[in-house]
Amino acid sequence: MTRPPLDVERIRRDFPILRRMIDGQPLAYLDNAATTQKPRAVIESLVKFYERHNANVHRGVHTLAEEASALYEEARSKVARFIGAAPEEIVFTRGTTQAINLAARAWGSRNLRPGDEVLLTAMEHHSNIVPWQLVAAETGATLRYVPVTDGGELDLAEAERLIGARTRMLAITHASNVLGTVNPVERLIRRAHAQGARVLVDAAQSVLHRRLNVALLDCDFLAFSGHKMLGPMGIGVLYGKRALLDSLEPVEGGGGMVGVVEADRSTWRESPARFEAGTPNVADAVALGAAIDYLLGLDPAGLLAHEADLTARTLAALRELPGVRVFGPPASPGRVGVISFAVEGIHAHDVAQLLDEQGVAVRAGNHCCQPLMRRLGVAATVRASVAPYTTAAEIDRLAAAVTRAQHVFGRG
Amino acid sequence: MDSAFYREQILEHARHPRNSGRLDPADARAAVTNALCGDELEVTLNLSRGSIRELRFLVRGCSIAQASASMLSELLAGVELARLGELGRAFRAMMQDGAVLPPALATLAPLAAVRQHRSRVRCALLPWEALEACVAPPEPVSTSKVQKRHP
Repeated sequence: MTRPPLDVERIRRDFPILRRMIDGQPLAYLDNAATTQKPRAVIESLVKFYERHNANVHRGVHTLAEEASALYEEARSKVARFIGAAPEEIVFTRGTTQAINLAARAWGSRNLRPGDEVLLTAMEHHSNIVPWQLVAAETGATLRYVPVTDGGELDLAEAERLIGARTRMLAITHASNVLGTVNPVERLIRRAHAQGARVLVDAAQSVLHRRLNVALLDCDFLAFSGHKMLGPMGIGVLYGKRALLDSLEPVEGGGGMVGVVEADRSTWRESPARFEAGTPNVADAVALGAAIDYLLGLDPAGLLAHEADLTARTLAALRELPGVRVFGPPASPGRVGVISFAVEGIHAHDVAQLLDEQGVAVRAGNHCCQPLMRRLGVAATVRASVAPYTTAAEIDRLAAAVTRAQHVFGRG
Repeated sequence: MDSAFYREQILEHARHPRNSGRLDPADARAAVTNALCGDELEVTLNLSRGSIRELRFLVRGCSIAQASASMLSELLAGVELARLGELGRAFRAMMQDGAVLPPALATLAPLAAVRQHRSRVRCALLPWEALEACVAPPEPVSTSKVQKRHP
């Protein structure tokens, strides 16, 4: 390959926070699966909105209100183009969690009955389990789970067996926030559709690492958060097929989502306004648009290759360490750069703290995946996760820091 | 250097926890879980005329929970149950607000090093929560599941 590698040093200059020192050492930020850092373009977009355009949307005729409305709808269009959807199919939410709750409630309460099955997987985040538990309790539907193999992948034979005539919804993560596993969602979506089931894809962990196209995926719903793809916190997206969204009742009532309001009843606007009651998070939506612009300005092939290189380097470095158990699939492209591991004899929180003392930021815990932790037979894991600004040197620091943690605990 | 010195003491207790295990039979037992990290801790007590005669902590958790339980176990033999509430308040005041420990708890001073990591203060409090659940009706705590049994 003659393609020039991604200019990571240049990307790093766009992220002011990466200059921070932690205990006298440069920050090695490897907690990107929890939230990514923000480029200056995103931060400036927020400041610019509040300094120049701030007004409430849709309900004013003055200049600022029109500017704010135009910026908000422009952000929606950017999101739509980014994932291959139409703007009417993009509902802004607070994040993935609210997006899944909205889909589960709006779709589930209308379409689930006793005996119906909602099929999840054993590697779902709590935010793609609990909303379905709530709607199942309300409707009498049953939850089933596709099991995870010892290798950290979905048991596809079992998945195909479980997708049956009773399945009304398959709600599945695109990429695991613990194992990094990228699931073959296209295949499962086809299978589910053949049985007349709907499919929701949780794209929170894939949206940064894989180019998504809902038209190709043919999923019915897709959810993701802005803050895990270089955008601000507090903004996320529920994509839904237009006819499907328009067939659903609103979950929240308030301003902006109604047509005619009478004393005892109201009519609803079409999607997406129907699902955006009240003043939306305009500034963060606009900044999410800036994050999309930023991502689209980076070489897509370079990004993919960089992420694959970092993932391979992390896996190789950790596997070389004695007493370290690495979870999840062996290599890209079947996984993203979200790597969980356990260090024999040292609690995950102790590992994370000792890494922090060396400037290496990782996450430790159950990662909002208690069922998966039980499947893996651990209470908690340490998790390192990469982003476009992550360097190979930071991965080397991670491995060295784990070794040092083992020495501190007398395990090295 | 205090923090390094303290850390060494915490690690020493974590590596070699005192009074580790479970009394069977026991006069009182309680188990608590830190839902934030899944850590589990169980205390079993034998009593003698309103005082603790012996106790054991069974900890499945991080070095701080281990060390806190181990250090605590060393100073509780002979302590009256009626005093646990007061001692627990004093320990919490130190961990949460930086208050000075009373002489009875002076050996727990190394745990003050945990104060700079607020997310881990709860780990140090876990053995106290178990102890308090043992001697008093559990209060509803959203982040912990408390089971109590007086055989």
